Amino acid sequence: MPALHAVQKELGHLDNECIKTLAKSFNISNAEVIDVITYYDDFRLKKEGQYIIKVCQAEACQSLGCRTLLDTLKSHFELDIGQTSNDYSVTLKEVFCLGNCALSPSVMINEDVIGRASSEKILAYLSEKQNISHND
Amino acid sequence: MTDQIKIYIPKETSACSVGSDLIAEKITDLTQGYNHISVVRNGSWGAFWLEPFVEIEKDGKRTGVSYLNKETSHLSSIEEFFDDFYNSQPFNIQDIAFIKRQTRLVFSRIGLYDPLDLNQYRNSHGYKGLEKSFEIGQQQTIDEIKKSGLNGRGGAAFPTAIKMQTVFDQESAIKYIACNADEGDGGTFSDRLIMECDPFSLIEGMTIAAYSVGANHGYIYLRSEYPLAKYFLTEAIKILKTKNLLGKNILGTNFTFDIELRIGAGSYVCGEETAMMESIEGKRGLVRSKPPLPAIKGLFNQPTLINNVITLASLSSILSFGTGIFSQYGSGKSIGTMPYQLCGNIKHGGLIEIPFGITLNEMIYDFGAGTFNDKPVHAVQIGGPLGIYLPANLLNTPLTVETLIDLKGSLGHGGVIVFDDSTNMALQAKFAMDFCQKESCGKCTPCRIGSVRGVELIDKIYNKTAVNADRMLLEELCETLETTSLCAMGGMTPNPVRSIIKYFPNEMMN
Repeated sequence: MPALHAVQKELGHLDNECIKTLAKSFNISNAEVIDVITYYDDFRLKKEGQYIIKVCQAEACQSLGCRTLLDTLKSHFELDIGQTSNDYSVTLKEVFCLGNCALSPSVMINEDVIGRASSEKILAYLSEKQNISHND
Repeated sequence: MTDQIKIYIPKETSACSVGSDLIAEKITDLTQGYNHISVVRNGSWGAFWLEPFVEIEKDGKRTGVSYLNKETSHLSSIEEFFDDFYNSQPFNIQDIAFIKRQTRLVFSRIGLYDPLDLNQYRNSHGYKGLEKSFEIGQQQTIDEIKKSGLNGRGGAAFPTAIKMQTVFDQESAIKYIACNADEGDGGTFSDRLIMECDPFSLIEGMTIAAYSVGANHGYIYLRSEYPLAKYFLTEAIKILKTKNLLGKNILGTNFTFDIELRIGAGSYVCGEETAMMESIEGKRGLVRSKPPLPAIKGLFNQPTLINNVITLASLSSILSFGTGIFSQYGSGKSIGTMPYQLCGNIKHGGLIEIPFGITLNEMIYDFGAGTFNDKPVHAVQIGGPLGIYLPANLLNTPLTVETLIDLKGSLGHGGVIVFDDSTNMALQAKFAMDFCQKESCGKCTPCRIGSVRGVELIDKIYNKTAVNADRMLLEELCETLETTSLCAMGGMTPNPVRSIIKYFPNEMMN
């Protein structure tokens, strides 16, 4: 698993080439590598968005409206759970608990957690990030 | 010389989730060129509604102000910041009732200082526990833990010393210790707080446990949803290696111990100890059947001590302050303090470490100041996604391991989630089954297929198309899940469902 994490961090996702190379270096079959990859939600076989938005759907966030928040984001981005936008800017996902349960609802964008989240807050975060990267 | 001024701005997930990093960036900018002012990124005090809680230490006095919804971007000088701060009625956080009423034994250091400041850690009794353990020897250390009455804080409340004794008694050249930091229960964050705000206490505890059972290699299995905890643990391990507190000849003894940090990949069931071992071994996180117990045949088929973060972080205080600090509180399986995590629809949510037995009423109203949106409390879920929901008329329930067992639930890892009266309980029951369906490892049939059938049945109730036979089928399904699943995931999924049927019957009728 450390190898899968490391490769995915470098390349963004784990394609057939990666699987073959990993299988060879660990002296196991391609199927065995795929076996592990497909078990875990974090590992991805396909390219995903620049911003991976994980909306917490666990109980504490449910108590403060995370279901509505997810629906709003779904219709805003016109994406269903697990889908990536055509320009690969955004992937929308659900997650179960980010450990920020006293400041619900919570959303994680890449590695940043946003507490007391609202769709306005999420969109503001994204546009600020995009501004920074445009100015770079 | 001008007196030193310290500005504390927390670096902790919850604080950062409401803007702590931005404030730290701004204040650090403003302090450029002032040698007597330093910015310290401390941990959080666990009073999350105050975050980002900024403190200033000046003339030996430390006071703070909540910077939630408080603008700092317009400030142009550090003097302006000080004016703004001191005009906002700063107070000492240790004087507020939320903190004052707690008994912080395990969480005594969180919020105080930079979590990676080893000198501060050692000055506040850090590594006294390990020194004591080396002094009294392996068996005696286990005996001390036994005397303290410590039970596992991961959820199963199993006596820690029995596990340790079992591993210690195995005759094996290789033994392992694994810290279960896959804190996946919704509504819990105490492990995360220890790892982010006092990582040395976890590692010291792990070292004590490893020494006492004779393990030289340890793993911390951390969930991937906690990137900041990963940062703190990685840095803490690096620091301890350079200071001879990890590695060879720890504290001048001939004891060698190394820790490897393993990151999960988004699987809830990997918090189950046998699935966690599979995952550490690089496989799919499928649950193993027990026996053999991990303590006899665990990681890579060797005896393995598996403990939760809080359990391990408790060891140092027990050894350095004596077993009495724990055993003076509580009885039965509920001995010592419990870090409850109050959250969900609540005004003052956060970490509450207090002796077992506090009632839900005290917790929600005395500590929590009622619901976040001032609506009436309708239900409280205790102990994560496999925990029961209690109705508002049972808020006088004291929270101990035993009372929750009597109510056919579990205190679990200590999460308490509050829901208001707009909550649809049938939807919550459906979620319990849905969660099991999504997170089941798939190894045993009751959990893999039963959860799918459960979702279908509750959907009928939710859509008001259920007939009586469906209700009977749901009860039968719960019984099958409870009695025939391999692990607690399937075995305890019926708990929330049954509690909703029992306490909220009207909401489960057509």
